[in-house]
Amino acid sequence: MAEHFVKPPHWEWYILAYFFLGGLTGGLYALGTMLRLWGTAEDEAAAKVAFVAAFPLLLVCPVLLALDLGQPARFWHMLIDTTPGRGGIAFKYWSPMSIGSWVLLVYGAFAFLSFLEALALDGRLRGGLGSAIVRALAGSGGRAFNIIGAILGLFVASYTGVLLSVSNQPIWSDAWALGGLFLASGLSGAAALLAWLTRYRRGAEATEARLARAERYFATLELVLIVVFFVNVAGAGMLSRALAGPWAAAWALVVVSLIPSLAARGGPSIQVASTSGPAAVARAAGGVSHAAVLVSVLVGMLLMRFVVIFSAQF
Amino acid sequence: MPQAVGFFTDTSVCIGCKACEVACKEWNQLKGNPPEFRGDSFDNTGKLDAQNWRHVAFFDKVPEGPVATGNGQAWLMFSDVCKHCTHAACMEVCPTGAIIRTEFDTVFIQQDVCNGCRDCIAACPFGVIGFSEETGTVHKCTFCYDRLQNGLTPACAKVCPTQAIQFGPLEEMQKKADARLAQLHGQGQTQARLYGRDDKVYGGLKAFFLLMDKPEVYGLPNEQNAVLPRRNNRPGYLGAFATAVLGVLAGLVAFRERGEVRRAEEALRTGRTDKA
Amino acid sequence: MTNHWRDIKNSDLILINGANPAEAHPVGFQWFMRAKLDPQRGPGNGGGAKIIHADPRFSRTSAVADIYLRIRTGTDVAYFGGLINYVLQHNLHHAEYVTHYTNASFIVKEGYGFTDGLFAAYDPEHRAYDTKAWGYELDEQGFAKRDMTLQHPRCVFQLMKQHYARYTPEMVSRITGIPQDDFLKVAQLVGQMGRPDKVMTIVYAVGLTHHTTGGQLIRSGAVLQLLLGNIGRPGGGMNAERGHANIQGNTDHAISWEILPGYLAIPSPGERTLDDYVREKAPKKLDPNAWNFFGTNYRKFMVSLLKAWYGDAATKENDFAFNYIPKPAGNSSWMSIYDQALKGKMEGVILSGMTATSIGPDSNQVLQALANLKWLVVMDAFPTTSSEFWHGPGMDPAKIQTEVFLLPCTHWIEKDGTFVNSGRWVQWKDQVIPPQGEARHDHWILADLFHRVKQLYEREGGAFPDPVMHLTMNYKDPLRPELDEIAQEINGKNLVTGKRLATFAALKDDGTTIAGDWIYTGHYPESGNLTKRREGVQDPQKNDPTGMGFYPNWAWSWPLNRRVMYNRASADLQGRPWDPKRPGIQWNGHRWVGDVPDYPPTMSPSDPKAWLPFIMTGEGTGRLFSSTMIDGPFPEHYEPVESPIENPLHPRVSSSPVAFLYDKAAGRPNRFGTAEEFPIIATTYRLTEHEHYITQQVPHLVQLQPEAFVELPEGLAREKGIKTGDMVRVRSKRGEIRVRAIVTRRLGQLDLGGTKVYQIGIPIHWGFVGVSAELFPEKSQHWLANSLTPFVGDANARTPEFKAFLVNVEKMA
Ligand SMILES: Nc1nc2c(c(=O)[nH]1)N[C@H]1C(S)=C(S)[C@@H](COP(=O)(O)OP(=O)(O)OC[C@H]3O[C@@H](n4cnc5c(=O)[nH]c(N)nc54)[C@H](O)[C@@H]3O)O[C@H]1N2
Ligand SMILES: Nc1nc2c(c(=O)[nH]1)N[C@H]1C(S)=C(S)[C@@H](COP(=O)(O)OP(=O)(O)OC[C@H]3O[C@@H](n4cnc5c(=O)[nH]c(N)nc54)[C@H](O)[C@@H]3O)O[C@H]1N2
Ligand code: SF4
Ligand code: SF4
Ligand code: SF4
Ligand code: SF4
Ligand code: SF4
Ligand SMILES: [Mo]
Repeated sequence: MAEHFVKPPHWEWYILAYFFLGGLTGGLYALGTMLRLWGTAEDEAAAKVAFVAAFPLLLVCPVLLALDLGQPARFWHMLIDTTPGRGGIAFKYWSPMSIGSWVLLVYGAFAFLSFLEALALDGRLRGGLGSAIVRALAGSGGRAFNIIGAILGLFVASYTGVLLSVSNQPIWSDAWALGGLFLASGLSGAAALLAWLTRYRRGAEATEARLARAERYFATLELVLIVVFFVNVAGAGMLSRALAGPWAAAWALVVVSLIPSLAARGGPSIQVASTSGPAAVARAAGGVSHAAVLVSVLVGMLLMRFVVIFSAQF
Repeated sequence: MPQAVGFFTDTSVCIGCKACEVACKEWNQLKGNPPEFRGDSFDNTGKLDAQNWRHVAFFDKVPEGPVATGNGQAWLMFSDVCKHCTHAACMEVCPTGAIIRTEFDTVFIQQDVCNGCRDCIAACPFGVIGFSEETGTVHKCTFCYDRLQNGLTPACAKVCPTQAIQFGPLEEMQKKADARLAQLHGQGQTQARLYGRDDKVYGGLKAFFLLMDKPEVYGLPNEQNAVLPRRNNRPGYLGAFATAVLGVLAGLVAFRERGEVRRAEEALRTGRTDKA
Repeated sequence: MTNHWRDIKNSDLILINGANPAEAHPVGFQWFMRAKLDPQRGPGNGGGAKIIHADPRFSRTSAVADIYLRIRTGTDVAYFGGLINYVLQHNLHHAEYVTHYTNASFIVKEGYGFTDGLFAAYDPEHRAYDTKAWGYELDEQGFAKRDMTLQHPRCVFQLMKQHYARYTPEMVSRITGIPQDDFLKVAQLVGQMGRPDKVMTIVYAVGLTHHTTGGQLIRSGAVLQLLLGNIGRPGGGMNAERGHANIQGNTDHAISWEILPGYLAIPSPGERTLDDYVREKAPKKLDPNAWNFFGTNYRKFMVSLLKAWYGDAATKENDFAFNYIPKPAGNSSWMSIYDQALKGKMEGVILSGMTATSIGPDSNQVLQALANLKWLVVMDAFPTTSSEFWHGPGMDPAKIQTEVFLLPCTHWIEKDGTFVNSGRWVQWKDQVIPPQGEARHDHWILADLFHRVKQLYEREGGAFPDPVMHLTMNYKDPLRPELDEIAQEINGKNLVTGKRLATFAALKDDGTTIAGDWIYTGHYPESGNLTKRREGVQDPQKNDPTGMGFYPNWAWSWPLNRRVMYNRASADLQGRPWDPKRPGIQWNGHRWVGDVPDYPPTMSPSDPKAWLPFIMTGEGTGRLFSSTMIDGPFPEHYEPVESPIENPLHPRVSSSPVAFLYDKAAGRPNRFGTAEEFPIIATTYRLTEHEHYITQQVPHLVQLQPEAFVELPEGLAREKGIKTGDMVRVRSKRGEIRVRAIVTRRLGQLDLGGTKVYQIGIPIHWGFVGVSAELFPEKSQHWLANSLTPFVGDANARTPEFKAFLVNVEKMA
């Protein structure tokens, strides 16, 4: 039985927003990369959308993080050790916040370049710089670049959960599954967002269907992780705390928010998955629009993070 | 190199006078929080925070009836403070390196380094650290670092009238604690125990306690619960990694067309192209 | 204190009654804990001294005591009486000590008696005894007759046995509420303390004094200590923990109306000459071996005081200006002042360092009294509930004519001078910060005031100007005397040699010496100010040669730097310490060594003329029986004036028959309530976190205890539907308070022989002035604890009965 006597760190709205955007940007970059790696040529359009979207979402993140600090101007203390007489970089592999800061920085570089590349490919970034980037990221070098960026993106989407776990807060520290849960939800949110964005791109319909399928898988993964999370929490004897007051209802809503994704109908692949459970739900739901999926998934993603962040602190 | 120092806080002789609490504020020039009646026994401070680096907690377990044995076991009084853990959770997570171990083996937050991220608050298992809106940084007991550097006894120990807070070289404190425990056990007070004297909680606490009841009663994690945040690094990342693998597999399944489909699609596309 | 703070570490058993030292004297409390932690101490085989705390409330002292007993407030005479009875019945008293060092053997003259709650010679009309009726049987030389076998039916020992035989464990339990078994457990521990190798201390404070029986409550403990042979011994004694940092110094220098400095009595009407005065007031020698030091030297001390005050105007011819000293016919104690104001007979009052409104009793009456004044001067560093009294509850400023002056005064931190602690240690302190703002020292204000009064007399004359015109102000600047100069004057000097004296033994009654306070003579000899000495624990070997904690070169304690009073009684008849491990003084064959002896240093114990040990009394012994108390020679239990039960010992004389009833005497309506209307017992007390009313100005302390509250027992709270944090109204016949409730098992019910009553606790610290009051201006109108307390006091000292009265409690909407 875990007993906790810690105080809450009062990580609230800025952190919630950051966790949300972090999940989306990381998920988008990973999806973009996967589409490039395994998708068809026509998936490239969607991949570019992903890269274009990932960077601005990321850009907000450090701002939110800095604003959450008691001393925003000292955000760089995360990176440089300012202890008198010590100096050098501040890096602790065992502190998720420390690694997170560095990864965010490095991932930022990847996301930025990929963003420029995507713009250039779309002809929206003209001139020497655009073509230089396109050239540099062509071929297998570019793929490797994307893969590293995607790994970083996946990290950004997931480490926030690990960050919570690596504490002594009730619920957070009782569940090692938080990192995975945040990632699954980040991927699911990113897939829904990308699917919705690609609707406004000609020639990306097929991708849309594949994204819907991916979305279904991610939602399934998330469901599984919610279960693991609750097994974690129950094991620590914290179930009643996690489900106290409004939180039980909030969790129910989180689960409900996944239903449209599970039910979404997606192009040719529907036959492939038609025998599986979620497809049955999908049939029952009779197909759901992309916008509904998007809203539901994003709200669920936000809500899940909200419940996790706030239920442990209040 | 100065030697490691320690606090031995003997709750069996604490009289809850709060002199330590006030002396700490006086020395460290802490204003304190706005007055608020809590009526939690005689405690109106509530908790350790940025304005309270010492906090005397009261646990009223006086039995019903006209007679009672005091001896520190009926109305528990507990002068709480940063434990200056050997394995300090706060220090472990701090991303900026603001939390350091001093030459006295105490745990100290450098005010000019801290950026107020509050990760240490989430980590400290004793709820010691508090965030100050005023400074934008976090605060806790400094073990009177400034006094130690000048060869002075920390303010709280200095004023404690009953020597419930004893200060000195760590080893000496440990010996005193052992002797006191033996004395109490000799008097049949077998519920007395030392907390943080050995390395079972956080590798040993530089501010350790003699308790007259179970640690949980005083709001202290017991040995099983005295765990460090980093315990969750490996499972947390592994969980995330497994999810990432599954996620990538899902992507593979979702995006990579099986042979026929792809061929059919390609045929379709080619057909279309032909027509065009 | 007969002993001193550090000495408590020498005890085996510590009885705490009517005191809460962990909260009211936390620093001094360290010595209790040291005794407890010292394996050499303790009853039986040691293993640490035992602390027994009898208190209506389980307090922070009880929290570390070995045994806590819930006692009904105002009943400690029954508790101590029961212990006395237990000791006598089981023959556990210290026989040699009792025979030779107390007046047990003294034969009381015929006519003394005690029936139905009344001692002999009671005058119901004046509610007074003729205490002369309680004397000894005297022989031709005027010495008391004694029976050293203690068998004479009228010897003090036999009378005492008889008197306390009624205090059986069953009776103790019926009166105090302490279960018999638990009382007997305590009695067994206490009973061991009559052995010479064991020693017990009794510690008390205002939990005993704040009763109509206050004096006797304390005496009952002292009698027990005499029986056990514990007075005069290190680790023993009857120890009063005093109040404010310097209240001991205040008392020594006559803050009470009925004494002059050094506990010389204030003359009474009819004492026209110095001779009359000394004859009436000085103790008489009652045994050939009694030194009767005080009585013998009374005249010298008085003459030296008169010479200090009136200088050259005090001559042999004019009886050293004895007629300058007022001889008050009435009582001028605290309550009497406000009683006079209520009667409209008081024009003005100067309050210095005290806030009348808060300290009560019956603050509603006190507020009315202040409103009746023409003028009120408050000398303080802060606004107080007195300087702001017209903002008090029920006050209508439009109708109040009192002109109020607030004179900013320095606090102790802004001046030097001495503090005298409970152990009589006079300790010099330095000024820490200069006076802030326009603050002036109290003594400068008084000097200035005196100067202006004198000028008025000079200009306008007056009825009897001499005491004013001739008062000495021999200071460098008479308007701004220095405390160092005043200290020297208090010490006194020989006017012939001009040298300051080292001992009061050098004082004379021929007008050649002065002493502002004879008991302080020696603190500032020619060698310098001894109160500044600080030879302490830096080097215990050197500074505490006896190891008993006397530290003779740390500051200076009166009398003559003696650390334990009556210390001749710490050694047996041959001069050997009762307990060689804990010597006070001992005869080494040539002289007395150890503490500063309370005895001629070279008087051999084998000398047939050797003085008896108690040098100050006429008997030469401690008094188990005393005719100096106006309410009885033996302590007897009387109920508080407001009590839920009738006195089980003598229901017809339930409460003190001699307590002075102000309202009744003044013709005002009675303000006492009955148990029917007010069935709950209340007591008032302090909290560690506050110092009376002044700390309402200290934010750090206000944070620790921000709001007025009462502590209620769980059972009572359940009956009334009250929870912690609720607002409750507590009412007495005199007023009400509206405060928060704290519900706790630290208070509870008492079983008084079948009658069940609750006691509640009311901390005193709040009023309508200070940091909390500013936060809650409305609420704070109803925070004065003394709105509830009765306007009645101890028969002897007239100390108000703050600690026992009746109330009712209800939850507020
Ligand atoms: N923190 C703090 N310390 C102080 C002061 C202060 O205001 N605050 N004031 C100083 C002053 S001026 C004084 S006089 C002293 C007073 O020091 P104390 O006398 O120790 O203080 P009180 O709290 O008034 O009363 C002591 C105890 O007597 C108990 N009591 C009441 N009636 C009885 C009774 O009939 N029998 C017994 N056995 N117990 C009884 C009360 O419950 C209380 O616990 O404290 C001094 N020290
Ligand atoms: N119901 C109830 N009533 C009680 C008691 C109780 O137990 N129960 N206890 C009683 C007792 S024992 C006492 S002693 C009184 C205490 O009552 P008070 O003595 O009136 O209380 P304090 O707040 O200690 O001090 C009074 C004032 O002295 C001022 N002062 C401090 N230093 C100096 C100085 O150097 N010069 C001047 N001029 N002023 C100074 C402070 O600013 C403060 O305003 O209360 C009594 N009233
Ligand atoms: S008690 Fe908390 S703040 Fe203090 S060293 Fe340990 S973890 Fe850090
Ligand atoms: S708040 Fe300051 S001390 Fe705490 S973890 Fe962040 S930087 Fe380190
Ligand atoms: S050591 Fe210093 S900072 Fe720490 S609690 Fe004590 S007084 Fe406060
Ligand atoms: S100063 Fe000492 S006795 Fe007083 S509350 Fe603090 S630890 Fe306890
Ligand atoms: S306030 Fe002063 S006098 Fe009272 S206990 Fe503390 S140190 Fe002693
Ligand atoms: Mo007092």
